[in-house]
Order: sequence, then structure tokens, then C-alpha cells
Amino acid sequence: MAQNIVTEEKVIEEVKKAVAETLSSDVAAIQPDNSMIRDLGAESLDFLDINYRLEQAFGIKMARHFILEHIEEMFGEGTAIDENGQLTEKAVRFLQARYGDSFPGFKQNMDMDEVPALFTIRTMAGGVLDILDTLPEKCSQCGNAAWKSDNGVKIICGSCGEQAVFTNGDDLIKQWLTKIQDDKKIC
Amino acid sequence: MKNSRFKDKVALITGSSRGIGSAIALKFAEAGADVVLNYRKQGGSSEAQGKKLCETIRGMGRRAFLIQADISQKESVRSLFAQAAEACGRLDFLVLNAARTPFKPLEKLLEREIRQLVDTNYIGNLFCIQEAVPQLAQQRGSIVFVSSLGSRFYNVSYPLGSMKAAMESVVRDCAEGLKAKRISVNAVCGGIVKTDSFKVLRQLWEELEFIPEDLFVEPEEIADVVLFLCSSDSRAICGQTIVVDHGFSNRLYQPMQKK
Repeated sequence: MAQNIVTEEKVIEEVKKAVAETLSSDVAAIQPDNSMIRDLGAESLDFLDINYRLEQAFGIKMARHFILEHIEEMFGEGTAIDENGQLTEKAVRFLQARYGDSFPGFKQNMDMDEVPALFTIRTMAGGVLDILDTLPEKCSQCGNAAWKSDNGVKIICGSCGEQAVFTNGDDLIKQWLTKIQDDKKIC
Repeated sequence: MKNSRFKDKVALITGSSRGIGSAIALKFAEAGADVVLNYRKQGGSSEAQGKKLCETIRGMGRRAFLIQADISQKESVRSLFAQAAEACGRLDFLVLNAARTPFKPLEKLLEREIRQLVDTNYIGNLFCIQEAVPQLAQQRGSIVFVSSLGSRFYNVSYPLGSMKAAMESVVRDCAEGLKAKRISVNAVCGGIVKTDSFKVLRQLWEELEFIPEDLFVEPEEIADVVLFLCSSDSRAICGQTIVVDHGFSNRLYQPMQKK
């Protein structure tokens, strides 16, 4: 439903903008399939800045912890990352379920530090869209279903003006992991 | 040029392409010193920012050199100081500013994360001190370590704090050990600074936005104290850690008001 108000195109545009501002680079030169690290030169601290900008723009809370950390938290230490810091077979299955089989690059025994380099502007936008998709049917303040957005980015209630509240990124990953585990019994 | 109290002197600042390190480098240049900048990761945003800073400092009429080195690697540290010596011919001030950490609770760190934490933030700093001493001893030089309030207070998902605490102890120890060589060793312990670390904090620490604006520290305010500790005005200060936090850590509670 949120995607009728905030389009995927708009989200990609906002991610590009956040990345360009963080890295002081030219927004026009950024492509949706650019790797944030390999192509655009983002470093770990930059990701936090990019997240913050997206949170401000969309009124959301991005995940503080990466999916691999959540897997370790939920299913026990060593389930996602082995003692050498490499991806386990289970981690690869979770990542493939999350990002699609066609998403290139996830391999068993790959160094966990190499995983972030696989993520692109589009992956980041996907994370934002997932959160926006948790838009409740009705406004929790006035109970009306009248969501709108004046700038195509931040969703507010057209009836009382209250800002929409979404599920936060970490909770969303946890919910998703629970569901996938129920379906596929990876662990 | 604001002043020339450090004219013809050379400062090397580790991890200086951004944040506090970059502010310290600029202050040294303003004070007349030539500056050696350092960053770790090749081809990323740190290198790009380091290059820009280098140009800015050269534009101020000072010499500036940007050298890639990972301080956790002994060979890399050797090469950093060798290249700096070759370029500048002397070293007066070493500022230990570089730091690297995961942001998760200590008890959840993987073995390699623990090792990396110690490798960079403790062992790496010791490597730098060891390599710098012969050069600093020729100039009555100074070493200043950049610490943070994490050294003495709990902060959520901030394992770096324990390393800062260890380094404040190293500072006290080396200050005595290097006295005979007339090298001063001290530290500056910064409060909440609106640089990169702040970007981390605001993601992990919800109440951060309620802290009044006047309790935040500017990177330049930390840099000023670093330069003071490199000047002869601080000659009687030995092995100390000076807290620069606008009084933030004096308070038992923080006023919770929207800024």
C-alpha cells in the first residue's frame, strides 16, 4: 500500500541522494546497481550516516544490526558465521532467501567482511521499501485511513497530520527470519 | 596564517582524513606546522577526504603528506614512519587518533573482532609510539593520544571504551618511561563530538537528541587542547588525560529536554 504513495523510483532517488551527500559525490553519477563499497567507496562509518539520512527523510528506523547478526542472535552463535569469520551454509541459505537466488555472490566460506560489498543502491532501497510496506491500514492517532505524502517521501495522515509509524528495521528482520525458519527449517 | 608557534615543526596524526583527526591536522597547519596525514583503507571515502584535506593544508602554505597505513600491522607502521621521515626529515608531534571498532556489546564480539579491536587500538598505537620515539627524541617531541569518555563510562555497544581505558594507562606509563628522552606523553579525553562517532551514537542511543546543545564538543575544541599538550605551555603536564567535554561527565544525570 505504501508503494502507491512512495514509489520505488522515489526511494532509489532518495538513497542516491543520501549516498551522494554522505560521500560528497555527484548524485547523477550514481547508478542503482552500483556497489556502495566497491563502486562508490563507502566505508562502514558512511553506512551509518546514510542510514541516518534515510531515517530522517522517510520517518523510519533502519536496522541497526545486519541480518547475519540477527541469525546468530536468534539461532545461536556459529549458525551464520564460523570461528574464522566465514559464512556458513545456513547463512548463505538465509541470505539467498532474503535477497533472491539471482542475487550474485553469496558463497559458503566467504569472509563476512566481503558481504557488504555485494550491496547496491537497489539493495538499500529494498530495505527501505520493506519498512515502508509495514504502513498500518489506519492512523493510530485518529483511526482514519487517509495516508498521503506531500513530497513523495514522508507519509502522513491526511486527516490529522500525524506522521506514519512503521515497524523498525531490526524487528522486521526478526519477523522475517522467524517466518523463513518456519517455512524452510534452515536451522 | 593565524600564528607560527609550530613553524618548521612536523606533526603526524594517525587516522586523520576525517573527524577529529582532520580538525587536529588543520589546527597544526594553522599553527605553522607541516603535517603528515594517515588513513587506512585504500580507494574508499577516507582516502578521498584525505586527499582533499592535503590540498587544503597545502593551500595554507604548509607541506602536507598523505600516507596509507594500517597501524595494526607492524610493517605498515614502519613504512608510515619511514616515509614520513623521508618526506619531512623530522618529527615533533605524534597524535594517536586512529581507531577502529565494531559497534556491538563486548560479550557478543567474535574472536577475530576482539583481536582486531586490540590489534588496532592498543597494539597499533604501541607500534606507532615505538617507531616514533627515535625521531621524537631528537626534537623534545610530544605524543598525544585521543581518548574518549568511553574510557571511564559505560556506553551502549562501544567496545572501544575498554581500549581507550587501556591507552590512558599506556599514556601514564610511557610518560614516565620517555621522560629521560624528553618526550612528553599525554591524552585528551573528548566528550560527545558531532563527527563520525556521533553518527554511530545517534543510531544506538535514542536519548542523544535530548542532550542540550551546549554539552557537545566541537572537534576544534579537542584539537586546541592537543596543540596545547604539544606546546611548551604544557611542559609540567606529564602522563595526564585531560577531559574536554563541556562538563558533560560532571553530571550525575543529564537534563532530558528536547533541543
